[in-house]
Amino acid sequence: MHILFAILAGTTIVTSRNVNAMLAKKIGAIESTFFNYFVGLLLSIVVFFFSKEAILPLFIPEGFSDVIMYLGGILGVVAIIISNFITPKISAFLMTLLIFISQLITGIVLDFFLYGEFSLPKVIGGFLVLIGLIYNLYLDKKDNTETAK
Amino acid sequence: MTKGLALFNGILYSLMILMNGLLAESYGNYYSTVLVHLFGLIAIILYMLFKKKRLFPKEVFPLLLYTGGAIGVLTVVFNNVAFSSLGVTATLGLGLLGQSITSLVIDQWGLLGAEKTPFKKKKLIGICIILAGIAVMLFL
Repeated sequence: MHILFAILAGTTIVTSRNVNAMLAKKIGAIESTFFNYFVGLLLSIVVFFFSKEAILPLFIPEGFSDVIMYLGGILGVVAIIISNFITPKISAFLMTLLIFISQLITGIVLDFFLYGEFSLPKVIGGFLVLIGLIYNLYLDKKDNTETAK
Repeated sequence: MTKGLALFNGILYSLMILMNGLLAESYGNYYSTVLVHLFGLIAIILYMLFKKKRLFPKEVFPLLLYTGGAIGVLTVVFNNVAFSSLGVTATLGLGLLGQSITSLVIDQWGLLGAEKTPFKKKKLIGICIILAGIAVMLFL
């Protein structure tokens, strides 16, 4: 079940990115990011309302791990602003590749710190995922250059 | 510089999965999703004020164009659930598989404003390699 959820997260990322890109063409990238969070906040409040989860008071962060867990939402915005900035300056192929590479390497490092052990299957698996992505991205790139000619 | 920023962005995405996952473990999945969007909204509003952008445009567009954020709520919920049992790397790997397949579907029929690009059988090779990588991650 958790596996299916992780795959579906990829589906919703791409769908929402495409919808946001359509909106960005009309009103601008930053403005579309604003609506992304605005609509997201409204819907998550509705979902929360039906979830029967308790409203807990936010506790004051004490240690490092307390502080960083509040920063996820802000990092998301920083990532979007950076990607708006770099998208016109770099080929889609290279950008996707670089983001995927550092994403997976960071994931492996974070899991190492979280679970305290170095997982060889995760490294090998991550490397294979990367090869598969690079191969398909390369097919896209080859196709684009041929159309350009 | 640009390449460095792209690498940096990948680091941010992974950190985000971890941070949102930790927040969900402390506050619950749905409450934390509200918090993630609230903090994100505050961050983008501050940035827009700094850039002197207007918050709401004069023109109103079809409602469908504004659903990106609603779909994004699902991403946060799905990632939080997955992270709790799979950790960061496997969640990412499976997410990348989902992204690859969804992109292929969108390109095949030119959905959501994308250019129509017919499916190439060779891409199945890439998908198979990704699947193999995920199998190694999860089952070894």
